[in-house]
Amino acid sequence: MRRRLRLEFRTYFWLISFLLFLPSSLLASNLVETASQLADRIASATGPGSVVLEVTNRSSLDDKTVGEARSALQAGLRARGVHVVAADQAMGRVNVVLSESLREFVWCANIAIGTDPPRVVLASWPRSGNAALPATLPVRLRTTMLFSQELPILDVALIDSSTAAMESGVSSSSRLLVLDATRVAVYARQSGRWEPEASLPIAAPRAFPRDLRGRLLLRRDHLFDAYLPGTFCRSSASVPLAITCSASDDPWPLTFSPQPATPFAADENGPGAVRAFYAPSRNFFTGALSPGIGKISTVPSFYSAAALPRSSYTLWAVAAVDGSVHLIDGVTDQAIRAARWGSDLAAVRSSCGAGTQLFVSGDSASQAEAGRDSLRAFEIPDREPAAVSAALEFSGSITALWSDAALTSAIAIVKRADTGWYEANRVVVTCAN
Amino acid sequence: MKRIASSLLALISLAWIAAAGTRAHYGGTLRVSMQSAPDALVLPAATDPTAYWDMARLLSLVGDNLVRVDAEDRPHPALAVSWQHDSTARHWQFTLRRGAKFHDGSLASAPAIAQILGALHPNWKVQASQAFAAAPYSRDVSASGDSLSIDVDAPAPSLLAELALPRNLILTRNAAGTPIGTGPFRVTEFQPGKSLKLVSSDECWSGRPFIDAVEVEFGKSLREEALALELGRADVVEATPEAASVRSHASSSLPVELLALVFTTNSNAQEGPLREALALSIDRKPIQFALLKGAAEPTASVLPNWITGYGPAFPAEPDLARAKALLAGSRSQHSRAGAGAASSPAGTATRPLTLSYDPRDPQSQLIAERIALNAREVGITMQVSMSGADDIRLVRVAVVTPDPALALREMAREFAAVEPAVRSNAVDDLYQAERSLLEGNAIIPVFHLPVAAAVGPRLRDWSPGQLGLWNLADIWLATGRPEDSR
Repeated sequence: MRRRLRLEFRTYFWLISFLLFLPSSLLASNLVETASQLADRIASATGPGSVVLEVTNRSSLDDKTVGEARSALQAGLRARGVHVVAADQAMGRVNVVLSESLREFVWCANIAIGTDPPRVVLASWPRSGNAALPATLPVRLRTTMLFSQELPILDVALIDSSTAAMESGVSSSSRLLVLDATRVAVYARQSGRWEPEASLPIAAPRAFPRDLRGRLLLRRDHLFDAYLPGTFCRSSASVPLAITCSASDDPWPLTFSPQPATPFAADENGPGAVRAFYAPSRNFFTGALSPGIGKISTVPSFYSAAALPRSSYTLWAVAAVDGSVHLIDGVTDQAIRAARWGSDLAAVRSSCGAGTQLFVSGDSASQAEAGRDSLRAFEIPDREPAAVSAALEFSGSITALWSDAALTSAIAIVKRADTGWYEANRVVVTCAN
Repeated sequence: MKRIASSLLALISLAWIAAAGTRAHYGGTLRVSMQSAPDALVLPAATDPTAYWDMARLLSLVGDNLVRVDAEDRPHPALAVSWQHDSTARHWQFTLRRGAKFHDGSLASAPAIAQILGALHPNWKVQASQAFAAAPYSRDVSASGDSLSIDVDAPAPSLLAELALPRNLILTRNAAGTPIGTGPFRVTEFQPGKSLKLVSSDECWSGRPFIDAVEVEFGKSLREEALALELGRADVVEATPEAASVRSHASSSLPVELLALVFTTNSNAQEGPLREALALSIDRKPIQFALLKGAAEPTASVLPNWITGYGPAFPAEPDLARAKALLAGSRSQHSRAGAGAASSPAGTATRPLTLSYDPRDPQSQLIAERIALNAREVGITMQVSMSGADDIRLVRVAVVTPDPALALREMAREFAAVEPAVRSNAVDDLYQAERSLLEGNAIIPVFHLPVAAAVGPRLRDWSPGQLGLWNLADIWLATGRPEDSR
């Protein structure tokens, strides 16, 4: 046992060291190569001798890297017979400016030797391309980044029944389905990476609206269904995996699975299941429900809804298009006008607090301007929402938030402000105490 | 203690609730003010940058390009979804988006697009796939061609960037000359020089815009535009870069304009040393900070540094000693030749040079006067004038593409200079090409400037394009009531 632990520790140590030092080693290699290239060009212009070297940084490189660049350049020059000396001993001057464009780092060397006209030589290399929470509130939100890609991700579904997956979200036997506007991609976990296994193109029968949304639901009798505005896609039940898409205005299941038959497949036809019609050329649900929530079959147009089970009924929280939040218990529809929550809600079960927490996206104006977004857990005792977690911050805006089929976690899709890439994050609740 | 804790929870909840926002809403009319007053919905030359940007922004709402490029010059699909070229980059093949339609209901088929591009570029050979070549503008989906080829005489590695230019928008025209495209908005009313009305297109391949309509008022001064925004009569207006740097709801593009001195064909200043001396006399920093409030980048290169990265290789600092030495050398050369004072370099003695500027540009006169002052400090006599015969012009030119090779050729064309031979987009090749363009100092770059816009408080998801264009299809209005689409 101790031996195994030691091995795991060693593996983790090397893995973490590798991940930590990978970007800087890549940078260093580029830097040395570029310095060598520039030194070569400078030496060709000056010939062997002594020069004054001045390096000015007008790029985003940090001071440490600039120092390394200077050293590498100096070494490169020395190797080519050009020595860096004080001004009174020099035959000329080399001014190097470290600059950059959007595409690459560019180093410009301006060479002045005696009365010769100044010369310019260049070298370049291409640019490469969650918060911990305090424990003062009853629950914490923990996030695991599952996957990222440049194309907008609409939803993902993780297939894994192993116990390891319950803890970390992912195990070696995991599969990940990724829905975007053009396809459902299937990935398998191999050597700690998601490797593409299949790509099932979506033949959309009509143009999709802007702010496209989609839902991916795992099934018991076949692998998955995908819901897109005005379009329904169904996977085959056997390999080779295939997908069939058709125009459809059928209502989308609002996932609610009080007693799921399998750990990861939805049972939206069971008791308490609710379906909602999605406007095919818009980014919201129309408000028509079938079946409805108890006696209520029509609610205001809404962006998202989440079910919070109570002992004798289910309370639904609905984020309406007009910014209000509706609490619907099957008999009454109570609007909380003052509550201007974010547009995305999702319910997640836990062993903390009331047993089910409501995740609410942030996206306030100030956050949006700063390129950030957040997620916070609420409970609604006595129809009064109360925050039960600190805000989980994301470095971008949340573009989709869905509960998984078993309601054990939520999938938050985040468009990163810095790279513009989309990340699928699995968010779970852990008890603070 | 428990009470304090629950009060704290409630407080956190309220603070959270008050700050939250929502997804995009549909509906509402966006009101835009613009300086230009176009007589026709046609793209003007880049040497009139205000009119150029205004029309490029409007036409790109109506039409689509075959491809678009981002600020890093990476191509992205638009009406073409994929493309490839042969090893010489002379033959290009495009696969077109299926089902895209013009606002008149006709298909954006390969023959239709080939006809439009062929008319724009008579020297290109643009062909739809043979099977469908006889059915342009067909309304029948089954007749839609899905492939298009372009053949050019010389290697064209920048063809995608060329196709992404606003002048290559895929637009047809009706009998009245109104543009008809495949873009998110269609033209419903145009009053030349006064106004334009656009409504959103439900059939747009990229999805219906969130707003219902756009109303544009033309011919407004920057002051009138600012006032309209202040009074809530406009949602989007143009702004000067220097104003954008101090206003909270204003934003700027990357520097996509060049302010430069250009010697006219009949200029009295033909001598190389005089031109170089003038270039070396300009002290850009005081102009940058005092007149442009830091919202410009001093430059001595035609292409901005964000495109090339080699900006520092063209020093933009003044060198008065060298400027004076150049002029002195030039004078003594003339004296030795026995030509006398009458033929001394223009501007250095009796004949002052005339520097003209664009009177529509509010900062232009002040910048021109400052440059004249700098010139006088080294012994070049220069007077500033807004009309009449001129030796030098202070001009603004739009940098219309992020593709360096194409941008350099476009700029040379706008300046009526000899187009430099650019072998590739590699920095060394570009640098050499730009040096050859600037040789002789017929063009003296002074600043790169961004273009700016200011927006009203009800606008959401506004992200000004880095390249100077506006993406109005993805914005939404906070007060626009969402419609129930059931």
